[in-house]
Amino acid sequence: MSQVPKESAPLEGYAAPSTVEEALRLIADGDATILAGGTDLMLQTKPGGRLPYRRKLVNIRRISELRGVSEKDGRMSIGALTTITDIDNNDLLNTVTPVLPQTANCFASSQIRNAGTVGGNICNASPAGDMIVPLLVLDAEVELSAWTNGAVTTRLVSLDKFFTGPGRTIKQPNELLTRIVFARPDKKLFAGYIKSGPRPALEISTVSAALSAIRDNGKLSRVRIALGAVGPTVLRAVKAEAYLEGKTVTAQVAAEAARLAAEDASPIDDVRATAWYRRHLIQVYIKRLLENDSQG
Amino acid sequence: MEPIAKKSLIGQRVPKPDAPDKATGRTTYINDMVLPKMLYGKILHAGRPHALIKNIDVSAAKALPGVHAVLTAADVPEMFFGVGRDNRPLKGGKVRCVRDEVAAVAAESEELCDEALRLIKVEYEDLPAVFDPAEGAKEGAPLIHDNKPGNRSLAYQFKHGDVAAAEASSDVVIDSVFNVHYVTHCCMGTSCVIADFDCDGKLTIYSQTQYPYNFKMDLAPALGIHPGDIRVIQPPVGGAFGSKLDVYPFEPVCALLAQAARRPVKLTFSREEEFINAPTRQPVRIHMRTGAKKDGTLTFRKVDCLLNNGAYTSWGPTVPFVMMRTFSSHFRVPNVDIDCRAIYTNNPYAGSFRGYGNVQATYATSIHADMMAEKLGMDLLTFSLKNAQKSGEVTPQGARLNECVFAECLQKAADVTDFTAKHARYAAERNKPGRIKRGIGMASSIHNAGGAKIHKSDGCGTMIKLDDYARATVITGASEIGQGIDAVICQVVAEELGIPMSDITIVNNDSAIAPWDVGVHASRTTFIAGNAAQRAARKAREQMLNAASKRANMPADALDLREGWVVHDSDGTPVLKIDKLLREMHFSREPELVMVSEYYEPPSEPENKEHVGDMSAAYSHAVHVAEVEVDTETGEIRIVKFTSVQDVGRVINEMGLEAQLEGGIVMGIGYALSEELKIVNGQVRNPSFRDYKVLTAPEIPPMELHFIESHSSTGPMGAKGIAELPTIVPAPAIANAVYNAIGIRFFDPPMTPEKVARAIWERDSKLAAAE
Ligand SMILES: Cc1cc2nc3c(=O)[nH]c(=O)nc-3n(C[C@H](O)[C@H](O)[C@H](O)COP(=O)(O)OP(=O)(O)OC[C@H]3O[C@@H](n4cnc5c(N)ncnc54)[C@H](O)[C@@H]3O)c2cc1C
Repeated sequence: MSQVPKESAPLEGYAAPSTVEEALRLIADGDATILAGGTDLMLQTKPGGRLPYRRKLVNIRRISELRGVSEKDGRMSIGALTTITDIDNNDLLNTVTPVLPQTANCFASSQIRNAGTVGGNICNASPAGDMIVPLLVLDAEVELSAWTNGAVTTRLVSLDKFFTGPGRTIKQPNELLTRIVFARPDKKLFAGYIKSGPRPALEISTVSAALSAIRDNGKLSRVRIALGAVGPTVLRAVKAEAYLEGKTVTAQVAAEAARLAAEDASPIDDVRATAWYRRHLIQVYIKRLLENDSQG
Repeated sequence: MEPIAKKSLIGQRVPKPDAPDKATGRTTYINDMVLPKMLYGKILHAGRPHALIKNIDVSAAKALPGVHAVLTAADVPEMFFGVGRDNRPLKGGKVRCVRDEVAAVAAESEELCDEALRLIKVEYEDLPAVFDPAEGAKEGAPLIHDNKPGNRSLAYQFKHGDVAAAEASSDVVIDSVFNVHYVTHCCMGTSCVIADFDCDGKLTIYSQTQYPYNFKMDLAPALGIHPGDIRVIQPPVGGAFGSKLDVYPFEPVCALLAQAARRPVKLTFSREEEFINAPTRQPVRIHMRTGAKKDGTLTFRKVDCLLNNGAYTSWGPTVPFVMMRTFSSHFRVPNVDIDCRAIYTNNPYAGSFRGYGNVQATYATSIHADMMAEKLGMDLLTFSLKNAQKSGEVTPQGARLNECVFAECLQKAADVTDFTAKHARYAAERNKPGRIKRGIGMASSIHNAGGAKIHKSDGCGTMIKLDDYARATVITGASEIGQGIDAVICQVVAEELGIPMSDITIVNNDSAIAPWDVGVHASRTTFIAGNAAQRAARKAREQMLNAASKRANMPADALDLREGWVVHDSDGTPVLKIDKLLREMHFSREPELVMVSEYYEPPSEPENKEHVGDMSAAYSHAVHVAEVEVDTETGEIRIVKFTSVQDVGRVINEMGLEAQLEGGIVMGIGYALSEELKIVNGQVRNPSFRDYKVLTAPEIPPMELHFIESHSSTGPMGAKGIAELPTIVPAPAIANAVYNAIGIRFFDPPMTPEKVARAIWERDSKLAAAE
């Protein structure tokens, strides 16, 4: 492990478009690095980082149409450039899905939250990406836009299918993530999120977990569990979900679901925690989420 | 004129004079400095723990436009420096740890330096390496320095009394192995130096050093120049905490680059470089046996310490000096047998760090006190009081405990926290159901509080001059590295001279101006520099009062200096303004200026070969109580309340005192709970604040600070040194509280959530299996 920085290619151009169309035209050749809040990018492209810049740097922060939260026909839409602070402070989200503001609230520090965007968090595709975890249990989809054959084209992809590995997604280099959309949650849906660490803020998650389900007369249905930092991508605990479907939560049921969720995960040992501890925490968190005790 | 009453500044809350500029961003730290024609320097570190250097090719780097110097060991004389004279600025032949400096460049910008470093091609042949001192001591282990057989570095022994007989007569003996870990200083300002040679070959070095005078002595051999030809300028620094108490290779390397390039060169570490290359706290394996009688009387301590020296010897492996003091004098220990050895390995190496060995030693002694009390069925307070020394006692190593208020500190700490009752209650609740468990823990320690005579002198020089407007300049050897000595000196001098603090300027940043001082370490500066300043100020005061006495026709001892006036001491009647007096003294037929000097040497003695000697002019104690909540599922520890009771001698600046204590305690809590430099196979695995966890504001617990004033007969105004105890005592207080909460001891800090959760899970699994 040499301490000498690796080489990264010199930049040839910089642009800061103010509309989606302009941005898509600029990146149409697929040879642009996209800059949103830069809170991931700046660290990665510094000397010694893992990514070299592409030829052009396209700063998308001035595209105001991509910032903000809205609702239409029972569909929620969050613009890719909505900052983590925006989510934390958003009244609509606070009423409709408090789990998102709750997650934003234990995300990094105020400074990072002010700059970092939800689109950046998703596109960075870190297995520890905090916003991804609750969005997965809300069955969110991402809208990918591109400039093809002289027009803006879009496709919707389930967030579940978006990630292919750490830092890797199905997004093409000529595509921009423009929006995150999900159905307005049912009134009976409950959702919770827990992140590890004695200081959740400014902590890269050792483990994070989100759970949502509809609880009707004590019985669970439409159960979704997502786990962060315990595999190559944020992942769904499908065995645990299936097990919980139709069940009433008891201590035994919670313990079994927790055990299955730990099986669903594939954590590793690294400098932050061992696989053992990650599995241990998954079980603690799943039990707590089922007991609706996400305050930790 | 109204009479002017006598008022004292001592014990008041005084803001640090440097605080407003620092808080508003006006201060130019060394890291901000730019000299005309200055170049930047960077070092190529080995990045591997043990290897032969087969070949270095610097031709491409040299050819890069904008590069002014490229150096390797082949370009500089083979000079050795460092505490163990085993280090060189640039390494030739082989590298012994990841830090090793194999080449250095000076160029027009840092980016060019990076590019030049990339162009240097080094061929290595890796050698078998050793990272564990126990392995390093074995026969056949890879030899790190040819002239250090058995990889033996420093060794220390101290024996007193008859430990074998004491053990035979003990009713209870406990035996534990503690492994205390690597942490690092995390100064906000990363390591930085600017070197500038003049045409006569004299070096001006802008440095973060906290010991400017001996720094010259230690730097000179690395450069092959005379110490007298080095001038040290100390711009404001972003923290030091002991990390700047030695010369480290980047400093001579920067000077060598400046010499080669004939331009000033500045060398700054990135944060990643800082984590990898700056000194650490010394890790130690402490094997301790402690005995006691049924009635709680301690009978002996037998201690064996193994220190991971790392590849070179800075101050780290000398910490047994202080550890032995703790083992032999934290409580009354009639018989002691201590053996400490440092063994070279291919790890990075440690330097001095606030607490200097006592953080490590107290972790062991304070946990053993708690274990012993439990084993004897006594409460910790009773046990501690039974073994606490009283004023006048002399420790086995010859420390005279004058003005000793250890027992008062213990009693106060227990009283204000309701310690004994809570401790019993939490222990009783330990095995009941419940996810969150509470615990309370107490720890204590002793530390030198009147300097430490480990050099030929422990003194400090001070000069004071007053101008025609009664503005004073205090030129002191004592460095300000953020600890607050400027405020203390202003207070002490203002108190003696009767002028406002704002009329005092401190000059202490240039070795060509200020007189000698041994450096900022050993909790000594307020004590030593405070005494020096007070004595100098008294000389100035005497000169002024004598002059005033002639003019006022009154005996000098009937006069006093208050609020800018010469007054009658008895009733405060103003006689003459001080500035007027000074002008009259200056512009008279027998002109005199007030300019005085003092060199204060504390009444302490160096240790003899057997490590006996009253090496400090004062000693003090602190007692900490931590109350914690442990989440038994996640292993997270939350400190609910932290209480400190410390013998401070006398409060001089209450605000500075609080800041030192709070900052020190935060450092101590980080040591206990979250901070660890993870070094695996000689590599630093977490060289960033992302993975090296210092406490941040939300985790800092509410603190209650109590000062016990023992009025040291030797300290300035009665004060004692205070700065290290706050960092020394927290970790065992927290460990004891965690034990009280969950019944598990942690002999290997930090007590991270994972470690705690794992220990609980293992215990519960064993219990379940047994059922
Ligand atoms: C101190 C610190 C603390 C942090 N703490 C946390 C934390 O607690 N939890 C957490 O999850 N993360 C954390 N992060 C990581 C980071 O802040 C987040 O991932 C953030 O959401 C990234 O958003 P950004 O707008 O800054 O992304 P950028 O850095 O601008 O971009 C990230 C990546 O996504 C790409 N990209 C961005 N937007 C788009 C888009 N609309 N379409 C296509 N590609 C795009 C970029 O090209 C880049 O590859 C932390 C970072 C730092 C420095």
